[in-house]
Amino acid sequence: MTRYVLRRVALAIPTLFLVSIIVFAMMRLMPGDVVTRMVEGHAYAPTLAALRHDLGLDRPVHVQYLDWIGGIVLRGDFGNSYWTRQPILEEFVRRFPVTLELAGLTILISVVMGIAIGIVSAVRQDTASDYVGRVLAILALSVPYFGLAVLVVVLPSIYFKWTPVWTYVAFTADPLANLKIMIVPALVFGVTRAGPIMRIMRGALLDVLRQEYIRTAWSKGLSERTIVLRHALKNALIPVVSLVGLQTPLYLGGSVIIEAIFRLPGVGLFFFEALTKLDYPVVQSVNLIIAAMVVGLNLLIDLSYAYLDPRIRY
Amino acid sequence: MLLTIALAATAISAQQPKRGGVFRIAEREAPGLDPHLSISFLTHSYVSLAYSQLVRFPNGPEQKSPTDFSILPDVAEKWTVSKDGTVYTFHLRKGVRFHTKPPVNGRELVADDVKYSLERFMAKSGFRERLEPVQAIDVLDRSTVRVTLKEPYAPFLNHLANPSFCAILPREAETKFRDFNNADAVIGTGPFVLKSYEKGVRVVFERNPSYFVKGVPYLDGVVLEITPDAVARLALLRSGKVEQAHIWGWLSPEEGKSLQKTNPEMVVTPTLVIGQGFIYMRTDQPPFNDVRVRRAVALAIDRKGWNDALLYGEGCLDAGPVPCALKDWKLDALKLEPAKAKYLVGHDPAEAKRLLAEAGYPNGLTIPMYHWPGYIPPWRSYYELAAENLGKVGITVELRPEEYGKYISTTALGKYDKAAMGPSTPFTDVDDFLYGRFYPELSTNQSHVADAELSKMLVAQRREMDPKKRKQIVDDIQRYLADKAYYVYVPQWPQYIAHPPSVKGFKHHDGYGLGMRLLYTWLDRK
Repeated sequence: MTRYVLRRVALAIPTLFLVSIIVFAMMRLMPGDVVTRMVEGHAYAPTLAALRHDLGLDRPVHVQYLDWIGGIVLRGDFGNSYWTRQPILEEFVRRFPVTLELAGLTILISVVMGIAIGIVSAVRQDTASDYVGRVLAILALSVPYFGLAVLVVVLPSIYFKWTPVWTYVAFTADPLANLKIMIVPALVFGVTRAGPIMRIMRGALLDVLRQEYIRTAWSKGLSERTIVLRHALKNALIPVVSLVGLQTPLYLGGSVIIEAIFRLPGVGLFFFEALTKLDYPVVQSVNLIIAAMVVGLNLLIDLSYAYLDPRIRY
Repeated sequence: MLLTIALAATAISAQQPKRGGVFRIAEREAPGLDPHLSISFLTHSYVSLAYSQLVRFPNGPEQKSPTDFSILPDVAEKWTVSKDGTVYTFHLRKGVRFHTKPPVNGRELVADDVKYSLERFMAKSGFRERLEPVQAIDVLDRSTVRVTLKEPYAPFLNHLANPSFCAILPREAETKFRDFNNADAVIGTGPFVLKSYEKGVRVVFERNPSYFVKGVPYLDGVVLEITPDAVARLALLRSGKVEQAHIWGWLSPEEGKSLQKTNPEMVVTPTLVIGQGFIYMRTDQPPFNDVRVRRAVALAIDRKGWNDALLYGEGCLDAGPVPCALKDWKLDALKLEPAKAKYLVGHDPAEAKRLLAEAGYPNGLTIPMYHWPGYIPPWRSYYELAAENLGKVGITVELRPEEYGKYISTTALGKYDKAAMGPSTPFTDVDDFLYGRFYPELSTNQSHVADAELSKMLVAQRREMDPKKRKQIVDDIQRYLADKAYYVYVPQWPQYIAHPPSVKGFKHHDGYGLGMRLLYTWLDRK
């Protein structure tokens, strides 16, 4: 197990190295020039050359890359934003709890809903409740979360002069007020993500329920509840866990739009604004941090298989 | 001056304003707070709540119209101008104090602050060209500043009054915070004090109890609720969580009409604001160096059709070179010779085809049209309509959408091939729409116009200090430009200015700032 973890961590290094190269190169291939934009619009320096020098953009590209990646590896310094000149890590740390909470609540809602409806659908296969569950899943799959978010914000404002958009309050400052703010965006996002989970859950559970050991369990006279929840569910959960793992980048990516609509000051907006302003170091560093998180999360998910299915050994 | 203040006071007492209440505005986050390090209208509007200028535009009961750009005293109590128009001496009000925030701690504003701020603007701002004619700024004594210009410069006071340019900042704050982007560094002498700024969430301003104009502002505070999404901003307005869904209360005609249906109680005022959009062309290169081709473009555009289809017939068709809303300077197309005016407001596809054939394009031609598709409605439809209209006369348009960063740093600065299209910054002085757009070599001269006869007039109008004589030159320029088609202007639409009925005394003014607009605004809540 320890060796496996060490091997995976070692494998993460080339992955992250590749991510850093790709993001670094892509930012520089983007059309437009950050220095022109900053000088024309924002006059941080009297001339293009002066600002290019000030930001270190007049150095060869490989030196710029080594400077950035070296800062991270050697000093844990993720650099400063070109525009605000503030440390990126500081801003990321300040904003990350918002995105993490949104992603956490979204995962919770989508997993609970997806698994619950999936179980009912599988156990009551081809009954009315199965059809209702499957229709709901298809509906959730087909409605884009941003469309649903707009409807949830706009419709009550028209018909009830009320809208679920508030001024953000941190969880640490006022947990109840915070949950009131977070629950609607998490529900919107969670419901639309519950669709695929429900479908995978239903399919996997149906497969497991048809296996020999389940038949044995039935023949032993165990109750349906024990068979489904104790014997079948854990084995059927493996593809579901994989799916949640695969969807994690989606939760982070989708947070850009959800955060914009519901006024949540998270990482998604930070990243998006940096991208539109060609703020190279912010986009690079945020991307790298998120990539590292996804790699870490995937490792955790792989490790969780061993818990779900004790036959899996690392 | 005293008369203006007295009139203002009378108007206010007639409405019996009430003190108190917090004015909430849903708006996007400003890219920064330093008024010299950003040309964003959001930055300037945010911090205009906290800063003052030497002089200012009228607002609320003081203004005759939204484009009333007469000059009122702000921290300068009075000023004199030398006969030749090159020396301005400003006498500052005594006892004007900065907000009581460290490191300035409520010290008095002095002449040195004015010199520091104007020089910083001239060194750092993206708008620094506006004060290019300034030769020297001298502090004569604690409360007197002299500004010497290289030559007479008619737009000078207008630029000083524009909150985008000449906020008076305290030097100590820059020394301590490096620039004015830090919320703690926002220390001015304006009507509101920046109390707190939670990034991505809200900016809280409180009434400045020692503001130098007694009795105002009426509001206890202003809160900018940072809301990146336009749909959410409108929902917040509909549900009564904010007083305005835009920093200046603007909505598009569609949003305005929809709001009138869902919230009939809202006060919605369609207002033709300063604004302009156009097709711009490389007039220094073929095919647009041929006036016949440019005229063909001008005649191909069906302005009335656009107005009816997209703007509910409420748009202004005669939109350039001086924008519709800038009435004091505008020479209406109706007052021009019809033979020339048709290139500004006419629609004649047959004549356009004939002109193209005469110019050597009997089978038409193909051009690219660079643009940024992200501008607010109806811009996206505008690009398509332009392509369609031009296609009908034989000019095949290849629409070339660009990413914003690329558009704003290349195309919008005149670096493009053949043709492009987009809106103009809503400037406050006619000089920006004429000299700025047509004088050779400027980056704002997007059509690359180099016309010696025109250039002479452009320089003459900015040197003419007598407003009547200046107006004559500006009229001559408009007559001269009418049939040149250096830019092809498209209809301008009104903004719907919307707020709940409890908001009183709020009047739209086209002068960028927010602080002065809210000076006379009050809330009538039980």
